[in-house]
Amino acid sequence: MNLPKYILRRAAFGVFVLLSVMTITFILSHSLGGDPIYAWLGKAAGLHPELAQAYIQKYHLKDPVLVQYYYYLLSLAQGNMGYSPSRNFLPVTEVILETLPFTIQIALFAIVMSLVVGVLLGVVSARYNHTPIDTGIRAFYMTGYASPPFFVALLLLIIFTYTLGILPSGGAFDPTLTKPTWITGLPILDSLIEGNFPYFTSALLHVILPSSALALVTFGIVTRVLRSSLLEIMHANYIRTARAKGLDENTVFYKHGLRHALIPVVSLSSLIVTWLITGTIFVENVFSYPGMGRYVVQALNGQDYPGILGTTIVFALVIVGANLVADILYAVVDPQVRLG
Amino acid sequence: MPIRNFFSLVFRNKEAAIGFGIVFVYLAVVLVVAIAGALDLAVTPYDPLLQNVGPSLGAPSTSHLFGTDFLGRDVFSRVIWSIPNDFLVSFVVVAVALVVGCVIGAVAAFRGGLLDELLMRFTDVVFALPALVIAMVISVALGPGLTHMMIALLVIWWPPYARVARGESLIVAHQNYIEAARFAGQRTVGIIFTHVLPNISLTMLVYATLDVATVVLTYAGLSYLGLSVRPPAPDLGEMISTSQDYLISAPWLPIIPGVIIALAVVGFSLLGDGIRDALEAA
Repeated sequence: MNLPKYILRRAAFGVFVLLSVMTITFILSHSLGGDPIYAWLGKAAGLHPELAQAYIQKYHLKDPVLVQYYYYLLSLAQGNMGYSPSRNFLPVTEVILETLPFTIQIALFAIVMSLVVGVLLGVVSARYNHTPIDTGIRAFYMTGYASPPFFVALLLLIIFTYTLGILPSGGAFDPTLTKPTWITGLPILDSLIEGNFPYFTSALLHVILPSSALALVTFGIVTRVLRSSLLEIMHANYIRTARAKGLDENTVFYKHGLRHALIPVVSLSSLIVTWLITGTIFVENVFSYPGMGRYVVQALNGQDYPGILGTTIVFALVIVGANLVADILYAVVDPQVRLG
Repeated sequence: MPIRNFFSLVFRNKEAAIGFGIVFVYLAVVLVVAIAGALDLAVTPYDPLLQNVGPSLGAPSTSHLFGTDFLGRDVFSRVIWSIPNDFLVSFVVVAVALVVGCVIGAVAAFRGGLLDELLMRFTDVVFALPALVIAMVISVALGPGLTHMMIALLVIWWPPYARVARGESLIVAHQNYIEAARFAGQRTVGIIFTHVLPNISLTMLVYATLDVATVVLTYAGLSYLGLSVRPPAPDLGEMISTSQDYLISAPWLPIIPGVIIALAVVGFSLLGDGIRDALEAA
């Protein structure tokens, strides 16, 4: 099988996965107990039966689940993901477009931080193998990896906000500042392009703690794999050859060793993405960060079916996309994969 | 390998020994609490549900080792009583996922063809679900409670087991003794139970030991979101979320349960790594 055909097959499978995720989540979310109309309208549902009736009719709440699914697919085909009761019945697409950039913002910072810290500590740890430095680094990443993301977030909050008082406790920006206009969609980038420095500084300060919390629980994945891959490679024959021909240890380690040791790190991308998604859900809730992780918890608590579905589809899209990229990268690096 | 050799191999590794020690302490606590619960004995200094046994938000002291929460309940007693939750959920989820995964993986590998394709594509689909979100949806649908929590986690937990088990079974499938068993007239189901499962069990057990740590973390997260036990029953994640409002006046309230969770995860990770290294060295 050639590469384009392989990619096409993986992509087709990705679409199949997405459709399955959608169906499974639809059925699951519609079997949430209780009458959604009370969760949606609150007291108004009891005070105004005709209003409740209108909502039940409009959203087909009393129809069988499969009929409701038919209506959902119908409107989805028109680009409408429904209306979100937990957000005053705003269109779900609108809420996602508003919250997703914030999640991307902290995820991007977290990815960069965990890669930089992860690779750096992995290298140092392997270089100083069996020394106290190595032991310290291993203890550090193991503790980070073992800590629940919300706990790390709370610890950072206690240290940097409540004890040192140098970083804000929550939110994504100072609400008194003027918001940047929509250019790339990412507020932090837009404000920089526009030269809206007060907003940029504020957004940057607000992004530090949530993304650090995420990075602290994910960097260990990188360090751990890089460390063991480096230790294994440094015993390889070609490394001995490089040493034997008189290259100094730094050249051997960085040019010959590290380059190859980084390959397994590439295959970690989908694992890291999954961890980040899980992490954002908690971290955003700790910091009241207005991203998708906060939205999904609100939607769940408010029996907001369209909201739950919309966010799950976006999360699944990210996971499927990350897997696809990892598959393709792997196939490019290792042609044997395509034959299987 | 004789079990005694195995233990000595694990214990030669200092980190694995530490991991074993940590897990052992937790298991002892679980055992004591379980027995005490069954016999209705008091093992903790205070009743974990009793309010106003100390001041509201009291700092750790000799009478209240971990302090008291906003309702004046003894945090130490609550921590001790919530540790079994995490272990019960983790062990049940991992054990059931192990069994389900092994069966699916082994059957897929040995039957091959359409059944293999169907089983593995189904596994892929479940694997691609945003695990935490789906577990949240299921546990909201089922309502709070440990059994519901286990069901929610199990729905999304078995796919990696099925994948690993299939891969391992494929290796076993090419061994001569399988051919021999076939020629001796043994049927596929028999071969799977007598030859395949025993041979993949060691790899699967190592994976499971490391995986307990992940279940503990995920369970803590769901508990933090208020999906686990029904209040006022104590649980570590729930203790963290309810003490979030007192970060300034009582920072130890979220820190102590958090450390207890992290320590359990570290224990299982060290132990799992140690067992794996010992097996690789053997």
